[in-house]
Amino acid sequence: MTNVPITATKPKVAFFDFACCEGCQLQVANLGEALLDILGAIDVVEFREVMSEKWDKDYDVVIIEGSITDHHAEERIKKIRARSKVLIAYGACACIGGVNGMKNSFELDEIRQYVYGKDFKLFDSVKTRPIHQVVKVDYFVNGCPIYPPELVEVIKCALRGLPYTVPDNPVCVECKLNENVCMYDKGVSCLGPWTKGGCNSWCTSNGNICYGCRGEVKNPAKNAAAEVIGKYKLNADLIKNKFDMYNKCKEGDINGGK
Amino acid sequence: MNYHILKKDELDGFIKKLSKKMKVVAPVAKGTGNFAFQEVKAASEIALQYIPTILPPKKYFMPQREKMLDFDVSGAKPVDKAVVEAEEIAVFGVHTCDLAGIQCLNMVFSERPRDYNYLRRKDKIFLIGLECNDYCDENASCALVSSHIPSGGYDLFFTDLGDRFIIHVNTQKAEELVEGMGLARASHADTAALEKVREHKRSAFKNEVGVDPRKLPEIFAKGVKSKVWEDVGRRCVSCGNCTNVCPSCYCFDMADTINLDMKTGSRNRTWDSCQVETFAAVAGGENFREERSDRQRHRFYRKFKYSVDKFYRFFCTGCGRCTRTCMADISLKETLTSLVKENV
Repeated sequence: MTNVPITATKPKVAFFDFACCEGCQLQVANLGEALLDILGAIDVVEFREVMSEKWDKDYDVVIIEGSITDHHAEERIKKIRARSKVLIAYGACACIGGVNGMKNSFELDEIRQYVYGKDFKLFDSVKTRPIHQVVKVDYFVNGCPIYPPELVEVIKCALRGLPYTVPDNPVCVECKLNENVCMYDKGVSCLGPWTKGGCNSWCTSNGNICYGCRGEVKNPAKNAAAEVIGKYKLNADLIKNKFDMYNKCKEGDINGGK
Repeated sequence: MNYHILKKDELDGFIKKLSKKMKVVAPVAKGTGNFAFQEVKAASEIALQYIPTILPPKKYFMPQREKMLDFDVSGAKPVDKAVVEAEEIAVFGVHTCDLAGIQCLNMVFSERPRDYNYLRRKDKIFLIGLECNDYCDENASCALVSSHIPSGGYDLFFTDLGDRFIIHVNTQKAEELVEGMGLARASHADTAALEKVREHKRSAFKNEVGVDPRKLPEIFAKGVKSKVWEDVGRRCVSCGNCTNVCPSCYCFDMADTINLDMKTGSRNRTWDSCQVETFAAVAGGENFREERSDRQRHRFYRKFKYSVDKFYRFFCTGCGRCTRTCMADISLKETLTSLVKENV
């Protein structure tokens, strides 16, 4: 088998991960036929999960998974950013902090002690932050895990130098287009009405509720929440807890950090 | 008048014969009181008693996502080719509210410049109506807009007469179909029974808002600054459910997407909703309907005022879907009633 020659026009792309489950990388490896098309358009120079080669020059595009949870990660992402022309954050951990953000519900030292025991001070840890709260992010691919067709769209935009706008409509829009029976009609509380779409209502189309993994829409309907909770006789605390699973890193939410 | 008869136990044969000619879609139960039009092969799959489906049959005329053209930008000059993906479909069991919705869309998409994707698809759709002998539920307001009684817009129209359907044959295509199937002509007794159904409906269906519909455009003209809009705006989720399920809403967004070869691609359109925040946002960051109250008001005006000015008809067909689907309990009937109270 001969390797496809690397042409100079192919952009150098690297995948990196921080605090995460590496599930989004798995989604990339699972892309199937689209992966072959992507590999035809880019030159992957680093991707720890699938190859051992390293790259010592600048990157055209870096694709970052995971959130920033200690000082070492902060320094590392800054160095990667300095070497990259374009940075794509992908997955809930990288884009909104994801489940790692649950740490932020506790006093830092308290949770460190709980996890590491009496010698917790030996283990570095900071409040969880999504990538854009530390360095500037050029493209976001939300979701836990990412919705593969969206990643492909974003890669195409990045390769052409076009912006990608994350949909700011609730998941309900896509869920209705897919003609699903509303989860609320089924008597279960779903975070679709407040969560950014773009996933083609992936979970609700497959019988699950929306867990809010793509983050809240820019202007969530606060008053409506009371109406919905009232109409379906729901437990407001339960809904709030569901939101907290993915959405605990909203403090100082400025792209590029402070 | 051209009426035929189909015995109830012959419905299965009718559906099977029809599905040999073309794809047949009909309302099917989806659980928890929800229904959806989908492909059927036998009468037993069809929910003859159903409240309006999650999405109206407009999805067959203007699919939720639709490819408009393929393009290739690899050469010196870009090349493109229009795409119309249309198949022969019979839509069985369409209520009069949804027939009215399709009549609205026909007017919109026949305007110049004509929408050939819609019109070509419409040519291939065989519409079979089904009468509601009684109200589907309390959310409907079909009598207000007189869409509870059939007024054309179908090929065949079924009315349940107990042990049989009486079928109004409305088009040449429909005539050929019923003749081909050898359906018996209706007798005087049958048409008398149909008249009895209609007579019952005249007393069972009552103007649900209690206002002369001819006064509505004037009431809306006065109600631009009504507090009603603030109230519905305060409760609105901006999920777009009310417009996506509306049989006469037709707004769409269009976008080009390129394939990974960076040479070929397609132009696609998707349903859009005036209720979502980004709908009226334009370059430079301005948003013409930034508030939920502005967007909700816009939706109602599109149904009861602007459409009357432009097409001389209400674009609300009284199906009640927007009320049923609203998670925040915004009711069309209640909203209209409050507006009328304020502005008569």
